[in-house]
This record gives sequence, C-alpha cells and structure tokens, in this order.
Amino acid sequence: MLSWSSAAEGRQDGAGLEFEAELLEFTDAIAGYDDAALTEARSALERAAGIEFMVDAAAVAANFEMMTRVADGTGAY
Amino acid sequence: MIRDVPHVRADLVMAHRRSFDHVVAAGSLLTGAERRRIAEVAVAAYLDESPSPPWERPYGEPLLDATYRLSRHAGTLTREWYEALVAELGEPLCWVEAVGVVCATVPVVALARAIGLPQPPIPDAVPGQPTGLQARVIESGSLNWVPVAAPADQVAPVVQALSALPAEWTNLWQLAAAQYMSDRQMDDPRWTRGTLSRAQMELVAWRLALVRECHF
Repeated sequence: MLSWSSAAEGRQDGAGLEFEAELLEFTDAIAGYDDAALTEARSALERAAGIEFMVDAAAVAANFEMMTRVADGTGAY
Repeated sequence: MIRDVPHVRADLVMAHRRSFDHVVAAGSLLTGAERRRIAEVAVAAYLDESPSPPWERPYGEPLLDATYRLSRHAGTLTREWYEALVAELGEPLCWVEAVGVVCATVPVVALARAIGLPQPPIPDAVPGQPTGLQARVIESGSLNWVPVAAPADQVAPVVQALSALPAEWTNLWQLAAAQYMSDRQMDDPRWTRGTLSRAQMELVAWRLALVRECHF
C-alpha cells in the first residue's frame, strides 16, 4: 500500500515524504512503552505539522494496533 | 476517546464511543460482563509497565490468558497455540468474539495514550443474555485459522477474519473507517482526509505493522 500510494504521488516507497522523520519517530513511540519518548515525539510532530495532523497520525497508528491484532489473533495470512 | 476533545474529529470520537458501547453489550456467546472483563484485561495488557512473558498465563483462565497474550504479545501467536486454545475452550467462536472485543478496545486505549489524554473508562456492562447471532453458514477457510462466514476465502483474510460474528465485523470496520479509511476509500491510492497524504498514512501503517512484526 505504501508503494502504491507513493507511486500515485510520484514518489518511491515513501521516501522524501514531508514530516517523514517525525512520523516515524511518533509511530515508533506509540508502538513502544516509553511514555517520555512518546511525549517528546508527539510534541515534535505537533510543532512540525500541527495538532490535527498529529491526531490523525495517531488515529492511523491506533487503527493498525487493531488490524495487527485481528490478523495475528485469527491467523490472517 | 469517549468525551469530546478539541482537535479530534467528531466522527472519530463517535466511532470510539460506539466501540466501547459495543464492548459492554451482550455478544453472540458472551455476556456484557464477560466482554467487559476481556476489555479490562486488554487495557491492562496494553498498558502493563511490567508485562508477563508470552508463555505465562497470568489469569489462570484460558480466554483471559489468551486475551492478555493477544493484547500484549500478538506477534507470538501461532497456529499450534490457537489449536490448543480452542481445545481448551471447546468453541472456536468464543475466541473470535474475544478477538473482536480486543480489537474494539485496544485502538481506543492506543489513541488516548498516543495523543496524551487520560484513558477513557470502560462503561458498565449491559445486563442480558448472549444474542446467539452468527453468520448463517460458517465454515473453515484456508486464509485464517478461525472459522468464517461462507463462502470462505472470497475476500482478504483480514476482511473475513471476524465475519462469523457480524456484530464484531461491523464494529471493526466502523472503527477502521474513522481511524484510517473505509474499504471503498482504500481503492483510491490518492484518498486523504486533508491532513496526512495517503502516502503519509501508509507510512504510519507500514511502520506500526513492522514494529509489531505483523505482515498480513
């Protein structure tokens, strides 16, 4: 999906996306268990891209906290 | 995300509110109280600062131990583990329902934690007996361990995963539509809400699944 959407936007595999570094740091922090790191990553993304962007990024991450569990829990492969 | 919060879309707030209401209502095989207990275990596992290792069974009850493992160590589940669980439970759809409850709970908790809000309380259980509602015909497929609605294997495995229990399936996809996008919107590689581009959304999705070691 990343390759497909990147190609549609004229990019290659997500490389060079705006706020890419902040998005990756925020996603890693959501998947991790260090609350201080999460606070820092949240603030960095919010400063860079705004609060609505940060919330929508968090919602996508929350969705995949769900989808990974439906896949792993039901053996969806 | 149960209360209204500035900067959070109203449709997202409503989707999470509907999901928690769904959790505490009677399901196909489980009462609202049993489902609420599963949700409590899912929250505790997701937020546990000192989690037990995957092979331990912290609750001494098959369905709750399996809920803990799915909520905290989902990437460690195997087909052999699933078959042993079903042998203990005696009914595979009990596990399908528990997966539905975990999937109804974890994203609500995850979003609140991610954006720095207090954890929303799980509502009280709604009294009542299990509904018994299931897909009219249920069969085994080759794309999932769990039984699914017939005809099996006509759609993607994550799409048919909860199809044996329509209420769980409906809740999962109403959440996905608000958190990410609907299945129809997925068909357009340029679809966006206006904040993140589609490629930015997919970057977050890819990274989260990678860290969770989930390659569906």
